[in-house]
Amino acid sequence: MSSDLLTGDGRTHIKSKLMRESLQDRDVIRSTDSDRDLKIYPDVALVGIGGQSIFDRGASAILPLVEEIAEAKQEGHRMVLAVGGGTRVRHTASIALDLGLPVGGVAQLVGAMEELNAVLLNALLAKHGSMTMQRDHFWELPLYLSAGMIPIAISIPPYHLWEPPPEEGHLPAHGSDFGLFQLAEVLAMKQLIFVKDENGLYDRDPKKHEDAKFIPRIGLDELLASDFEENILDKQLFKSWRVARNVNRIQIINGLSRGQLRAALRGEDVGTVITREDNGESPGKEVSNG
Amino acid sequence: MADGIGERRVIHSALENSTLTDTHSDEINYRPVAVMPDVKVIKLGGQSIMDRGRAALFPVLDEIVKAREEGIQILVLTGGGTRARHIYTIASELEMPTGVLAAVGGYIPMQNARMVQMLLAKHGGIFMLIDDFEKLPLYIQLGCIPVMTGMPPFGYWEQRGQEGRIPPHRTDAGVFLSAEFLGARRAIFIKDEDGLYTDDPKKNSKAEYIPRISARELIERDLPDLIVERVCLEYLGRSQWVKELQVVNGLEPDQVARALRGEEAGTIIYQDG
Repeated sequence: MSSDLLTGDGRTHIKSKLMRESLQDRDVIRSTDSDRDLKIYPDVALVGIGGQSIFDRGASAILPLVEEIAEAKQEGHRMVLAVGGGTRVRHTASIALDLGLPVGGVAQLVGAMEELNAVLLNALLAKHGSMTMQRDHFWELPLYLSAGMIPIAISIPPYHLWEPPPEEGHLPAHGSDFGLFQLAEVLAMKQLIFVKDENGLYDRDPKKHEDAKFIPRIGLDELLASDFEENILDKQLFKSWRVARNVNRIQIINGLSRGQLRAALRGEDVGTVITREDNGESPGKEVSNG
Repeated sequence: MADGIGERRVIHSALENSTLTDTHSDEINYRPVAVMPDVKVIKLGGQSIMDRGRAALFPVLDEIVKAREEGIQILVLTGGGTRARHIYTIASELEMPTGVLAAVGGYIPMQNARMVQMLLAKHGGIFMLIDDFEKLPLYIQLGCIPVMTGMPPFGYWEQRGQEGRIPPHRTDAGVFLSAEFLGARRAIFIKDEDGLYTDDPKKNSKAEYIPRISARELIERDLPDLIVERVCLEYLGRSQWVKELQVVNGLEPDQVARALRGEEAGTIIYQDG
């Protein structure tokens, strides 16, 4: 705190590259960039478990998956879990919209419905070392993981009452899929695996069309250019992925099919693998489990 | 499906088959309700007001206190300023992702909010945490002046912008989104310029003043610099309640008072009809 303070224009500045600058200025914004982002937790996997697809099915879907998670932990995989809210989220949103609540109000409400699932998941996994994690306590992850814990994170992002106006409709654009994506992105996690009740991505909703074609592997650009009727993940996730730095691969697997989760954690191409062609900053290497 | 696995148990509702992010909400007849439309949501600029200290801040606070005494409901949100720029500089050098910048950038407007609360305490200034937002009606009913950080709570969940590491949603966005949630018509920004110019008037003496402009026109002009965060313009294009952004000069007497009374002052950026 010596010669770093500058005055003279009525304001007191601390000497820095951005001093006096407008942070809306494009050149200034650009000047903060480089071709890479710090990788904070590159050896931890993030596993998102579907609310509708797994939890709403009850014990017959949840219990085998819980067993598999325990086995995966025994095999030494370092992972963070998260779970969606499922049909209760949809019910909440439909009531909230009928009442005319603002989009931020809907966003504020829906998170509670996935927390219920997190409580149940934690109760089932507690004897294997699970714990529910506070919103942004991921700086404690090294401690939890070294202690052999399976932390359960919150998947809905904390946009709450400040949810931006949606481009279409009246529902929050930033849902659980985006929340998990962003967590994986900002922490540069090793893998992002979504556990659903289908083998992965299809060109049409396989629940409605018997002839739906399974897509084992696809690039992000190709996926965005395609006219698939139903996206299995939120639109906002793909939008964010285009400008993201760290996540290069997202895997969607079938949690009703025993063994897929462990295979995915080993780095195998089960389910659907969506890859992003690299922006050139780092070689597009496959994720492999060391 | 594997044998013996139960069906999804669905609660029937208009959105039961929705992926929640598509347009299925068309099926609902949405008749929006404004939460607290009479609250004036104002931002005290960080670099433009707070970093000028007493000389700039005290007269602005006087006008806010007077307006509150006249019965105008006010929510004060604070910006960051030079300390935010300092931490963004260092964090960028360290190649921190945008979410980390947003998280560390959140501390400074919080400090500023606390400073403003100390000054307003004798006039009913209340420091409000983001998580206390639902207590706003109480504070307003009591005649208080709630003061809160302008930074929205996105933190580590803040996405990268199109370029650079600076979080696209900073305190202007927080002011806009707070006003939008409350159902207010205007989001008011107190800065140290008369409003919008074609370039930064502090650096370019030929910059021209723009008293009134539509959001679409402003986006189309594609100016190299702007007095409000770009996301505010984008959201103004589709917001339900906020129809105008008002930027006034806090260094000029009466500008803040006029903005709080809902009068024309400074620059108005309006939603295209």
